[in-house]
Amino acid sequence: MIVGIPSGLLFYRYFPLWKSFLEELGADVLESGETTRSILSRGVTRCENDSCLPVKVFYGHALALKDKVDALFIPRIVSVEKRTHTCPKMLGLPDMIRLAEDGMPPIIAPTIDFHEGFWRNYKAVYQLGSSFTRDPRRILRAGISSWERHRAYRNHLAQGLKPRDAMNGDGQKLSDGRVLKIAVIGHHYNVFDSFTTMSLLDRLQGMDVDVVTSDMIPEEVQRAELRSLPKDIYWSYEREVVGSVLACVRRKMVDGVIFMISFACGPDSILQVVCEQERKAAGNLPMMCMVIDEHTGEGGFITRIEAFVDMLRRKKLQELRETRVA
Amino acid sequence: MKIAWPHMGSIEVAMTTILDELGLDYVLPPPSSNRTMQLGVKAGPEFACFPLKTTLGNYIEALEAGADTLVMIAGRGPCRFGFYAEMHRRILSELGYEFRMVTLEFHLNDLPLMARNIRYLKQGKPLRAVYQALKFGLAKAVAVDHIERQALHQRYLDLERGTTSAALRKAYRKMRDVSDYAGLPGAQRECLEMLAAVPKREVHDPVKIGIVGEFYMVLEPFFNLDIEEQLGNMGAYVERNIWLTDWIRPTGNNPIGGHHDRESEAAASPYLTHSVGGEGIHTIGYTVIYAREGFDGVVHVLPFTCMPETIAKAILPVVSRDVGIPVISLVIDEQSGKAGVETRLEAFVDLARSRRRHASRQT
Ligand code: SF4
Ligand code: SF4
Repeated sequence: MIVGIPSGLLFYRYFPLWKSFLEELGADVLESGETTRSILSRGVTRCENDSCLPVKVFYGHALALKDKVDALFIPRIVSVEKRTHTCPKMLGLPDMIRLAEDGMPPIIAPTIDFHEGFWRNYKAVYQLGSSFTRDPRRILRAGISSWERHRAYRNHLAQGLKPRDAMNGDGQKLSDGRVLKIAVIGHHYNVFDSFTTMSLLDRLQGMDVDVVTSDMIPEEVQRAELRSLPKDIYWSYEREVVGSVLACVRRKMVDGVIFMISFACGPDSILQVVCEQERKAAGNLPMMCMVIDEHTGEGGFITRIEAFVDMLRRKKLQELRETRVA
Repeated sequence: MKIAWPHMGSIEVAMTTILDELGLDYVLPPPSSNRTMQLGVKAGPEFACFPLKTTLGNYIEALEAGADTLVMIAGRGPCRFGFYAEMHRRILSELGYEFRMVTLEFHLNDLPLMARNIRYLKQGKPLRAVYQALKFGLAKAVAVDHIERQALHQRYLDLERGTTSAALRKAYRKMRDVSDYAGLPGAQRECLEMLAAVPKREVHDPVKIGIVGEFYMVLEPFFNLDIEEQLGNMGAYVERNIWLTDWIRPTGNNPIGGHHDRESEAAASPYLTHSVGGEGIHTIGYTVIYAREGFDGVVHVLPFTCMPETIAKAILPVVSRDVGIPVISLVIDEQSGKAGVETRLEAFVDLARSRRRHASRQT
């Protein structure tokens, strides 16, 4: 049985976990690869026009797999931690894809919801496993080894590998002791999709800039920063985004922040205000908000990035000169 | 302490009653207007959902009118509504206003905070009095919902356009002035009689339209561009799925809307199998229910970028095809104009009407 995993949204977070779980159970896994122009335009035509860019991209990936697989694997991730939620779009994702077009393959959509406690989730995973094999030990083994894969993957991300490199465990690191250090913060799928971000990460490296992503900022640090907010943020992945921005601007971990936002993203639209206000309160570390959608032109995008990097570099040199004189 | 809250449908009747009972001071912001919207749009974040901006506008006008304590319900997602109060607090403070934001968080984990905030709001009044006031206020709100529903059902029969709406406005005022619990049933009866006395025409087999969508947009006539009234004036019998007092009922039972939450979730289940926050699943569910009940079309109102309703909007075309009635999604934001919406609704009602004629000819 060929199971397709669309390479969008939570793919960047969980692909190694999902893949190894399904493979251990005997399925063949097929992913849709990097986003391309045709994937994007297919997604844009099929998807609801008012949706956020990442969901449109996801549609494109799912449609690209449509005729090649026996089923699509799109888990419904409701909550990955007590007292938090993912975004509504992720709750509705399996249903939206199922109805995206006539003749979609069946969707495998286990519900993961940590409000329900450990057992419910254990049962959901077990049920998923038992649709592939009758052997409970095999399911358990698959669970354990895929979790190990997941840990290893996240460790590699934390060391500064990009997702595809982190899956192989080898590649050029984003941070390499260069003088200028810029954090690129946003949802995984906004930061790591090299097509929709117009290869932002590679470009920055090409400009001799060290990049820090939210994976590279330890979770404890993010959480510690979040604790000082008057109102708890209840979106799971948004917590990482805001926690990282706060860590960067308050602890001056970097020279500047590029905040990647996709147009029409619900949570980002308002948490951007929180980040901006906290940044001002913490001494105005330079931050640029990049809002991208399917119409974002490459020219303007790159010009803005270059201008931002130049500005930071001048500022940095100035600082270095001053400290040397002192 | 001068309390204020944003406008939303008939919420004013309940709020003023509760606060009057307790003898607490409040400020009513001026009725929502284009100025309200512009203030909110200017101060609010660009892609925030529209209700966040309009309520922000109400707050600004309330502060201008002397309010110093802003009340808002809050929560924990998954949609943005749970974060409104915090956004309002941050944005208004940055603009330099001085006030206190009091949130009422309906979430088990936040009960202590809720208790603290209620204690702050009640200003030393005994809990018993608070209970009495809430009971009175809510009972009044239920009565108002009944009256509002009657108006909704009969507007298309108006002999002279606007008479039902005028009677409804009078009824709001009358209900607001009821000062004791015992007087409620009588007042409700009088208001219903007032509506019954509106001169009506004979209409056979009217076209039937259901309204579904995002909570605030359905309830707030100024910002939904009076779609209820517009549809009624076009001669449609109208029903809607969102009612203030149904919403605050924790049991999922909806005596005004008429269907239990479970019913609408079951109706939605071929299309959406999990709640997506807000009213998303009920938008789908009620579309199916209205089709079953012989309605000829469903109008879906949602603010631009609303997350749950955008999901519903993505799914509705499939639902519409399956159940065989047309559905129109009206996405509303600061650029929406009444005239544009009117044209679209007119075309839609025509479509629904011809469908009805066609269907009745076939049977
Ligand atoms: S968090 Fe934002 S970008 Fe991600 S799916 Fe939700 S709305 Fe879209
Ligand atoms: S339901 Fe929609 S409009 Fe209302 S708060 Fe949630 S996202 Fe915003």
